[in-house]
Amino acid sequence: MFNKVLIANRGEIAVRVIRACKELGLQTVAVYSDVDRNALHVRYADEAYHIGPPQARDSYLRIDKLLEVAKKSGAGAIHPGYGFLAERAEFAQACEDEGIVFIGPKPHAIATMGDKAMARATVSAAGVPVVPGTEGEGNLNDDELLALAPKIGFPLLIKAVAGGGGKGMREVRSLDEMPAALRAARAEAEAAFGDGNVYLEKLIEGARHIEIQILADTHGNTIHLGERECSIQRRHQKLFEESPSPFVGQDEAFRQKMGQVAVRAAQAVDYISAGTIEFLVDKDKNFYFLEMNTRLQVEHPITEYVTGVDIVKEQIRIARGRPLSYSQDQIQMHGWAMEARINAEDPYNNFMPSIGRIEHMLLPTGPGVRVDTGVYAGFEITPYYDSLISKLIVWGETRGHAIQRMRRALEEYKIVGVRTTIPFHQNLLKQSRFIAGRFDTQFVEERFSMEEADAMRETYPEIAAIMATLVAHQETLRAAHVIRSAKRDTSNWKWYARWERIHR
Amino acid sequence: MKYITTVNDQEFEVEILDERHVAVNGKVYEVDMTAMSNQPLYSLLADARSFEGYVYESDGQWQVLMGGTLYEVTVEDEQIKRLRMAGGGGGKEKGPYLLKAPMPGLVVAVPVIEGQEVQKGDVLVVLESMKMQNELKSPKAGKVEKVKVEAGQAVEQGQVMVTVV
Repeated sequence: MFNKVLIANRGEIAVRVIRACKELGLQTVAVYSDVDRNALHVRYADEAYHIGPPQARDSYLRIDKLLEVAKKSGAGAIHPGYGFLAERAEFAQACEDEGIVFIGPKPHAIATMGDKAMARATVSAAGVPVVPGTEGEGNLNDDELLALAPKIGFPLLIKAVAGGGGKGMREVRSLDEMPAALRAARAEAEAAFGDGNVYLEKLIEGARHIEIQILADTHGNTIHLGERECSIQRRHQKLFEESPSPFVGQDEAFRQKMGQVAVRAAQAVDYISAGTIEFLVDKDKNFYFLEMNTRLQVEHPITEYVTGVDIVKEQIRIARGRPLSYSQDQIQMHGWAMEARINAEDPYNNFMPSIGRIEHMLLPTGPGVRVDTGVYAGFEITPYYDSLISKLIVWGETRGHAIQRMRRALEEYKIVGVRTTIPFHQNLLKQSRFIAGRFDTQFVEERFSMEEADAMRETYPEIAAIMATLVAHQETLRAAHVIRSAKRDTSNWKWYARWERIHR
Repeated sequence: MKYITTVNDQEFEVEILDERHVAVNGKVYEVDMTAMSNQPLYSLLADARSFEGYVYESDGQWQVLMGGTLYEVTVEDEQIKRLRMAGGGGGKEKGPYLLKAPMPGLVVAVPVIEGQEVQKGDVLVVLESMKMQNELKSPKAGKVEKVKVEAGQAVEQGQVMVTVV
């Protein structure tokens, strides 16, 4: 059985996995590209190997290099994290072929759920409701799609078979919009995924994105760990998540129903390890399978907070052939957890990515506050990887307490050197609809504006004026050699007295 | 010592009266400010109210990060500002706007041409970076003076792409 794990990833998730391994007494192996030599995951691991230039396709996506490092270091298992190769069936297969344990599901489960059309067909056959659409009918041409569209009903979505993230997606409100939309979607899908095949799906209006966390072992046990509410999104990218969902709330029957359907979906592909079933839920509590993520997810910490389960440690135990540490009855949701994704993006400028060096950082802490991050003061945010700086996660006894705690933590969190989405989260937590739990996946794009929210923000421009003026004043004195330059220590803060002395 | 301090377009007259007093637009505050040793983090007590903020220079301006809000501040010696205005400066300087690439990327589209009149908010360049398409807009109304890039061109961070006068 393996006692050394190679983490085939970087940033905060690599640090997360390393922490779980350490707590289980396992040795850890990190890999890094040219720009990640000083990254936190490299410094935390027991061993570290350089795998190439910054571009992921020449380093973190190189299956051959990763397997080479595994062999060289003697790592008996690989954890893929999320993103990169986590959902590439050929990577899981390559590990298996080399006799290395892949900490995740089997290759065929990844492949089945990775093909959106096949995933829908597979779970549908297992009795799981899917968003009405072209049911796993292979790759259809434009004429066939035009014929099927009215049966599905408008409005509908054209989606890429080979991928997600909003690429290759088009909204269509009527039949005459179809031909042009199909052309555009196919072109985009071809460019993004190398596959121009598309399928159709009914557009559920006012839908909420609610997902269920799954854990399954090699002994036939599959359980769910409750739901996560992920409707706060922008361009199909999640910004803020919470567990439980305010929409599900106290409706335990609804929760268990979704949970059991999620378990059934996972069992349909003989799923092993941690995974997530994403549902679209309409206002009448009808829920439909959207897709399955066959990996650990970014927002897993909120489930860990409310259930007390360490999902990454469970993944490792499952990979070692152990049965799950919990039965379904032992899973209880307690309190409320929220996660704010802190990205290096400017919310005042269309969430434009911000790169640069993090000059200073002060982390929030105290009761019920957790920060999962891979950066630190002095770290350089580069354009080669995604813009996630950290995840700020809080737990409260109730949803109200969680909101107050998140506000408190956001105020304490200081990052200097790049623009961040901290102001966005502060503004979000003031929106009455958010506080009331009344929002769907269109909320951020349609009902939220930074400028409007800022109007409610308490600002202190006179105080900022005082601070900046005094600092500028001190710089002037320093430049005039009135006070010693360079050393910025508190004893130098005698800006007025010396100035007066000189000018008497 | 008097300064004209502008915070996000709002002007204040800040006068340092003595070691413990600062007047902002005539209102006198009792102040006590200390700096943390190895970073530009300051603790200010203004009439016993406690504020904490980072104050640092960026592009010739000051930025104050306080309570999650970022303030853009310029501090000018009052006399120097008066001399500058008298010399025909006339109000806030509105020099040409240089659109610089905020990060390295690929120019996807340039929907404007030299000589074109633009409004505030019009898209000047569409830049692809970090796998996302970013629309870079004009912060003011004016005329496009120079277009220095074209679609398909790769740009460096800070590279000037379009100027608007």
